Amino acid sequence: MTSKFIAKAIYSITLSAIIGATSSAALADPGHGKATRIGAPGKVSEAARTIEITMHDNYYEPENISVKEGETVRFIIKNAGEFVHEFNIATADMHKAHGPEMMMMVEQGVLLADKIDRDAAKKMQASMGHGMHDDPNSVLLEPGKSGEMIWRFPERADLEFACNVPGHYESGMVGQVKLSR
Amino acid sequence: MSFRFLLRAGVTGGALALLVGGVSAMAGEYSLTVDPVQIDTGKFTRQGIGYNGASPGPVLKFKEGEDVVIRVKNNLSEQTSIHWHGLILPYDQDGVPGISYAGIAPGEIFTYRFPIVQNGTYWFHSHSRFQEPDGAFGAIVIEPKKREPFRYDREYVVQLTDAHPHAGSRIMRNLKMSADYYNRKRQTIFDFFSEAREKGLSAAFDNRMMWGDMRMMPNDIEDMQGFTPLINGWSSIQNWTGQFKPGERIRLRFINSSAMTYFDIRIPGLEMTVVQADGNNVQPVAVGEFRIAVAETYDVIVQPTEDRAYAVFAESMGRTAGVRGTLAPRDGMAAEIPELRKDPRLTMADMGMDHGNMSGMDHSNMSGMAQGKVSGMDHSKMSGMAQGNMPGMDHSKMSGMAQGNMPGMDHSRMAGAAKKADSFYAAGSGLLPSAANGKKFLSYGDLKAQKPLYVEREATREIELRLTGNMERYIWSINGVKYKDAEPLRLQYGERVRFKFVNETMMTHPMHLHGMWSILDNGNGKWNPVKHTISVAPGTTVYTETEVDAPGQWAFHCHLSYHADSGMFRKVVVEGGPNAAAASPATGG
Repeated sequence: MTSKFIAKAIYSITLSAIIGATSSAALADPGHGKATRIGAPGKVSEAARTIEITMHDNYYEPENISVKEGETVRFIIKNAGEFVHEFNIATADMHKAHGPEMMMMVEQGVLLADKIDRDAAKKMQASMGHGMHDDPNSVLLEPGKSGEMIWRFPERADLEFACNVPGHYESGMVGQVKLSR
Repeated sequence: MSFRFLLRAGVTGGALALLVGGVSAMAGEYSLTVDPVQIDTGKFTRQGIGYNGASPGPVLKFKEGEDVVIRVKNNLSEQTSIHWHGLILPYDQDGVPGISYAGIAPGEIFTYRFPIVQNGTYWFHSHSRFQEPDGAFGAIVIEPKKREPFRYDREYVVQLTDAHPHAGSRIMRNLKMSADYYNRKRQTIFDFFSEAREKGLSAAFDNRMMWGDMRMMPNDIEDMQGFTPLINGWSSIQNWTGQFKPGERIRLRFINSSAMTYFDIRIPGLEMTVVQADGNNVQPVAVGEFRIAVAETYDVIVQPTEDRAYAVFAESMGRTAGVRGTLAPRDGMAAEIPELRKDPRLTMADMGMDHGNMSGMDHSNMSGMAQGKVSGMDHSKMSGMAQGNMPGMDHSKMSGMAQGNMPGMDHSRMAGAAKKADSFYAAGSGLLPSAANGKKFLSYGDLKAQKPLYVEREATREIELRLTGNMERYIWSINGVKYKDAEPLRLQYGERVRFKFVNETMMTHPMHLHGMWSILDNGNGKWNPVKHTISVAPGTTVYTETEVDAPGQWAFHCHLSYHADSGMFRKVVVEGGPNAAAASPATGG
C-alpha cells in the first residue's frame, strides 16, 4: 500500500464528490487498517449527537472538537465564508498527501477561490480515467452551502479536521480531534 | 559590546508602547524623540539618526479604531519629519515637508493626531533629506478589530535595511559625480573573453558596444553597493534571533526599509505561507522564496517543527550582500549562512530593446486564464510524467519526514525546473528570480485580496507615467520631467484613475503613492490586491487603479531614496471632496 496510491485515490474521490457521484461507501484506501486508523462512515441511527461546524475565512468554529473513543458523530457543516472550504477528518500525514491534489485541482481550474467548476471537474475526471468512489471523510463546500457527515471514530488515533484548499491548512485552518474514553 | 547594543537593550527592555508617563494605553498617546545615534553594524560604526535613542526606532503598536496622538520631539540640529508609510490619514498628518506641512524644526515638538482605520504591518520613516537611509525608520504593527483569517502563536517584526558606511548626502554626491561610483562589479577584459568564448567574438563585441552606448553595465542592478544589510538593526555577525517552540506557527512581519536594496527572502528548510502584502490580507499562498521591493511589507506564517536553528536569509537582488537572522528554540544558536548566489546580468529585454512589445502587455487579459500560468507548476513537464507523479508537489513539507511519503515522485524533474514566465518581468529578463530550493517563487500575479477593499468598476480615465532617467547624469524623472520642473498631478475626488507605469529605464522602481491605495491590476479581477508600493521592473508596463477618496495633497514617488531625491517624484493634488480644504499645509501641532 503506497501513499502515492492513497493520494491518487483521495484525489479521484474528491473529484467524484464534486461531480456528485456516489457509490459504495468504500474508503479511499482499499488497503487494510486505514479505515480503522481514522475511523469509518457511520449510520444516522448510531449517532447519539450532532456537532455543528461553521467554516469561516479561513478558520473553523469550534476550533477543536472532543469525541469519545468509538463514538459515532453526526457533523452538520456550514460554510459561512466567502471562499470554498473543506472539512476533512484524517491524520496530519494524510492531509499533507491531500494538499498537492487540491493544488492540482486549482491548477486545472476545478477549484476556484469561491466556487467549484463542475465541468472542469468532469473533464479532469475523464482524463484521469479513474474509477469513482465516494469520499466519506471529506466534505467540500462552496460559500453559503451546508453538508453533513456521519463519522464513527476509532479507539485511538491522532486526528485533525482540516481544510486542504491550498494555503488554508498552512495558515491555520486545522483543528484537533481530542479522543477520550 | 557596542554602545548601540546597550541602548537597544534599554529600549527593548522598556516595553513596546511608548507610553507618556502615567497615561493608559487606551488613550492612544505615544511619544517619539528624533535623536542622533551611533550605528554599529559589526563591520563599521557611524553617526546616524534614530528614534528614542536607537535605529531602528521602536515598534509602534496601534489598535484598529483608536485615535492616536503622537508627540514627536526633534533633537537634531536640522529639520525632520515622520511619514507613516501606508497609513490612511488626513493629508496634513502625512508628514511630508512642503506638501503636508512645514516639517519639524530643530528643538520643536510636533503632535500628530489621526484615527487608525486599518490593521496590519506598516512602518514609519523620515521624509526629510537622507535621514531615512541614515537610520530614521521604525515599524508599525496594528492589531485588527476582527479575527484574522489565519492563526499564529507568536510574531516577530523582521525589518530589513541596507546600512552604508557613507552618509546619504555623501552617497548622493558620489552618484551625481559618477553613476557607477558604487558599482564594484564592473566588467573586466576577462569577462569579455569569457563572453567571447560563449557567444563568439563579434557577438561579444557588439554586446559591449551596445552597453557602452548606453553608458550602462549589464550588472548595474544595484546603484549602491558596499552596504551591510541588517535585520532589525543586526548584521549577520550580530545574528538577530527569534525564539520558537517546535510546532508553533510564527508570523514574520517583513518590512523593507532599505534606501535602495531589494531583497530575496528564504528560510532554508521551511515553507513560507504569505498572508499579507503591504498590510492587506491576501489569500494565503505557500512559497519557497519571495522578493520584497524597497518600502513593501509581506507577512508570512512558518511552522518550524524541528528542534534546531533555521536561517532567515535576505539576499540582495543584485547578489552583492545578504543578511542572516535566526529562528531558534533557544538563545545563542546561529543557523548557517547560505552562500550568495551568482549575480544576475541584465539582458536586452531589461534594456527595453523589446519595448514595443512589452508596453502592449496587458495583465488584465490574464483574468480569464487558468492560474497555472503563474503557479509553481511547470506544465511542460507534466506530459511525460506518469499519472501517479505529483507536479507541484511541495517537498518542503516533507523535510524531516521519511522519504517514503511519496514513492514514485521524481525529484530530478522538479529540481532546477525551467523558470516560468512572469509577466511582471520583461520576457528574457535577467532579473527573473527563482527559488533557491526549486519551489515556488512568489510573483505579483499570486497576490489576491482576501477581502477586497473596493468594488470593482471601470476606471474613469487613464494616466500614463513613463519612468525615465539619465543614468549618466544620475537624473531620474517621470515622463522625462524632474520634480522641480513638474506641474502637480491633479486628480478629482471620486474618480477612479488607472495609472499606466511604463519603465523606460534599466532599474526597478518601487512606486509609492501616499494617502490612497494602489490596486494592482495583476489579472485577478475583483481580487486584484491593494498595495501602497508597486514595483515596476525594467522593460515592463504595469497598471494600477486608485479610487481617489482622500482630499488634499500628497506625495507620489519612487521609494529608492536617491531616485526620489534626484527627481522621480510628483506632488498629487486631489481636488474637491468633503470639506475640500484649500490645501494649506498645517504648521505645528
